[in-house]
Amino acid sequence: MADELKEELLEEDASKGKFMTFQTGREFFGISISYVSEIIQMQPITAIPEAEDYIKGLINLRGKIIPVIDVRVRFKMDPVEYTDRTCIIVIDVKSTVIGLIVEKIAEVDDIMDEDVVPPPTLGGHRDNEKSKYVYGLARTGDTMKLLLDPEKLIKQEDLDILEELQGEEQA
Amino acid sequence: MAEEFNTDSMLSMFLYESYQGLEKLEGIILEKQDADCFDDSDINDIFRIMHTIKGSSGVLMYENITKASHKLEDVFYYLRESHPEDVPHMELVEKVLAVSDFITGELDKIKAGNEPDGDEKKLVEDLDQFLGELKGEIKKQGIRLPKANKQEEPTQFYITPVAEEDSHFYRIVIHYKSDTQMSNIRAYSATYALKEVAEDLLYTPEDILSNESSGDSILAEGFHMLLQTKSSKDEVMELIDSSEAETIDFEEINKTEYGKALVEFGREAPPIVINLEDDKAAAKENKQAPITPGDYVVKSKETGKGKTLAKNQPKQQAVISVNVEKMDALMDMIGELVIAEATVLQNPDLKVPGLDLTNFQKAAAQLAKNTTELQDVIMSMRMMPLTNVFQKMRRIVFDVSRKLGKDIEFEAIGENTEVDKNIIEHISDPLMHLVRNSVDHGIEDSPEIRQANGKKAKGKITLEAKNEGGKVYISVKDDGKGLNKEKLYNKAMENGLIGDKLMSDFSEKDIFKFITLPGFSTKEEVTEYSGRGVGMDVVVKNIQSIGGRLDIDSVEGQGSEMTLVIPLTLAIISGIVIQVGEAPFVIEMASIKEFISVTEDALIQEPGGEEFLVLRGDCFPFIRLCEKYDLPGAKTKLEDGIVVVVEHEGKQICVLIDKILQEQEIVVKPIPSYVKKVKGLSGCTQLGDGSIALILDVGGLMIEEERR
Amino acid sequence: MKILLAEDDFASRKFMDKQLSQYGECDVMVDGEEAVDAFMMALDDGEPYDLACLDVMMPVMDGYQVLKAIRDIETQKGIPKSERVKVIMTTALNDERNVKMAFELGCEAYAGKPIDMEKFEKVLKKLELI
Repeated sequence: MADELKEELLEEDASKGKFMTFQTGREFFGISISYVSEIIQMQPITAIPEAEDYIKGLINLRGKIIPVIDVRVRFKMDPVEYTDRTCIIVIDVKSTVIGLIVEKIAEVDDIMDEDVVPPPTLGGHRDNEKSKYVYGLARTGDTMKLLLDPEKLIKQEDLDILEELQGEEQA
Repeated sequence: MAEEFNTDSMLSMFLYESYQGLEKLEGIILEKQDADCFDDSDINDIFRIMHTIKGSSGVLMYENITKASHKLEDVFYYLRESHPEDVPHMELVEKVLAVSDFITGELDKIKAGNEPDGDEKKLVEDLDQFLGELKGEIKKQGIRLPKANKQEEPTQFYITPVAEEDSHFYRIVIHYKSDTQMSNIRAYSATYALKEVAEDLLYTPEDILSNESSGDSILAEGFHMLLQTKSSKDEVMELIDSSEAETIDFEEINKTEYGKALVEFGREAPPIVINLEDDKAAAKENKQAPITPGDYVVKSKETGKGKTLAKNQPKQQAVISVNVEKMDALMDMIGELVIAEATVLQNPDLKVPGLDLTNFQKAAAQLAKNTTELQDVIMSMRMMPLTNVFQKMRRIVFDVSRKLGKDIEFEAIGENTEVDKNIIEHISDPLMHLVRNSVDHGIEDSPEIRQANGKKAKGKITLEAKNEGGKVYISVKDDGKGLNKEKLYNKAMENGLIGDKLMSDFSEKDIFKFITLPGFSTKEEVTEYSGRGVGMDVVVKNIQSIGGRLDIDSVEGQGSEMTLVIPLTLAIISGIVIQVGEAPFVIEMASIKEFISVTEDALIQEPGGEEFLVLRGDCFPFIRLCEKYDLPGAKTKLEDGIVVVVEHEGKQICVLIDKILQEQEIVVKPIPSYVKKVKGLSGCTQLGDGSIALILDVGGLMIEEERR
Repeated sequence: MKILLAEDDFASRKFMDKQLSQYGECDVMVDGEEAVDAFMMALDDGEPYDLACLDVMMPVMDGYQVLKAIRDIETQKGIPKSERVKVIMTTALNDERNVKMAFELGCEAYAGKPIDMEKFEKVLKKLELI
């Protein structure tokens, strides 16, 4: 119940309209700041065998063990080397805590609802992979930002897992 | 708010006693369900249980419970006094269970903090009618009716306190300006104002009025208050005169914190009850000192709180009170302590060459011993026998078999087996499902069919628990139809669960496992007792979530056996940390047979690519962890690495690793659910240096190996 | 009805006084000794109390001592059981041992704090006070 309350509060408070934006490759992404719990530096990661390629492994966040995923790989883009600008955005989506490895954090932007347009439905396969998790596009300054829907990011995951599990049982 | 347990100890005692009584009652009933009648001692027991519940519920003023138990007590009073013959036993059993269910339901409501508002009228009418028939029968048999069971209204009552759910708890610190005159009077005015709304109020310094110097300490350290009230922060703030205050720190705290703060303020937290009977030492110590009038005289005449009692509460108690949440918190802390211990003892700073660590090592050994003992004690506090769960299953067999018109004998073995409290919570539902399945699908539909197959007309279900090698095995065995492999295969095929594989592609166990697939059910119609939308897949999922598994064994025509294999405890295991490539892994100590170093000569490679290792003339399956999990940088030559022989349920396999790092107590944490389950891994843990190691699940590894 | 209230805590006292005054005249005492004195006095005047609400933790004499004293006085004066003052203990000390002892000492009811006034009233009815 407390969580629901917290979410309700979060939705209504000042964080509305604020987006954490980050760059990966040439593209900018945005994620509502209400999902972001913290940003940490790159950490030693313990890989998990047989996990999907975008799940980089587990990190130790002050005693709490959380999985981290590489956003580039998640969107089927070519991976890049991690640098000292690489960091991990820790997001909390309905009590599921995961870390997103991103090339670099840009800034916190105010994006109003009226600035958001739905993503185009046309496009190649690559875009499809992304558009599953992108609910809108927003232009701020001279860059176009893809706004991520973290709940879908998590949920889609669950579906994938289910499919795979069933696939395995059949095998 | 339902999860907030009612902490009134009178109430918990009532609940505890009543639940116990009802459990015993059910035990008697179910044991005697097939007998012709209850014997004298059963009747006496049931009478007494109902009498007790009637009495205590009367004191607490739960009238519906009082009435229902009273009626049943009446029935048994007549049985006890008149010994009538030809009592319709089955009907009686049903009546007793109905009352027991009713009271249990009401108790559950009370436990959840609700009003027990169930309507007992129908039940009482039924019982009245039954009693009427009984009396008629008694007369017919020429036995004189005993004089009516005389009833005494309870003359003493206990008023349970209102739930304190709406209360807020605040910690308030007022710092007055340094030139404030008579700060103690200001502080007093604050407390006076707050008493209007306070349910509880404590403050330090206590002696604000009688001790002149208290003003100085208020100025120096601030005036600290602890307030329990139904008022909101704003309402409280309004009451406090803030004209001379420099700062007022206002913090809302939760009940637990409030309890802790009470201790700080010099008052004990209110007690709740758990039983420490197991703790022999405590039991041997003095019995609880009886309280006597005069123990609660308040020494100071001050009308404030922070009362000092003439005689303190008895120091040693055989029964002390612990909140379950506190137990869990303690468990977590022990986990952290174990990690901290490892961080110290395996600190890289100690690896400086030439360091003399003799004394350090001695101290470290002592520390390690103490933490281990501490863990053992905590663990034993959390262990509970499976008795209650078994009792529940007995009831389910009874209910379901009667509804389905099947005649089934139920046997329970090893119900005193103890498991961690958390695990009990997790296995109850899956077990219930398995038992229902056995009654519904396992046992044949009619005794004729059974007899035709040369079996006893009466079916039998055996529930057995045993504790072996750090695991608990709970099996549900029936002597019914057993599983039909062809049917299972066809069904799985129809539902498109297995693609187009041939039946011969699967081992017997694989085929049995089909029933655990989502979307599989061999019965077309979903009955009330099994099926009901959730299937065996949910059972398996629940069991897996606590690190257990489900084994299925069956012989067609002879019966099936479903075995839950669950860990004894979830929290801490002793393990060996090993390294393969760059990745650390942990293997549970209990499953390790030996470490050996072997040469390539011992290796046999089958044409299919499978490898075996020959050790002292025996041949074992061989797994290279580095290949299995694709770990870079690992040693591939047998001579360079180490082979671990691990055992699981009597089977052994050999695993090639790079090196052994250390032995360690590890705190098992689940791999976050976001990551799909990896076969052969049961969890992860934090090592001394803060890095994360994955825990190998030997059983899982073997299943994988067998599948290949 | 005549009521004796013994309660040392200011807030509780105020609350109880207000609640009880709806049922009758309520004399308020702040410690155990005063309570016994008041009880004696009322008895001597031939206007005994019908109900006594006793806090347990009190200065000078605790509620149990007061209860015991009251029952002893009544026994000594040969007051029949039915005419004895009805005693309700009011306290936050509601663990089982305390309640049991209070019952053994002969109180009619034991109310845990914070007091559920609805049930309290029910008990008054059962005790045939209102």
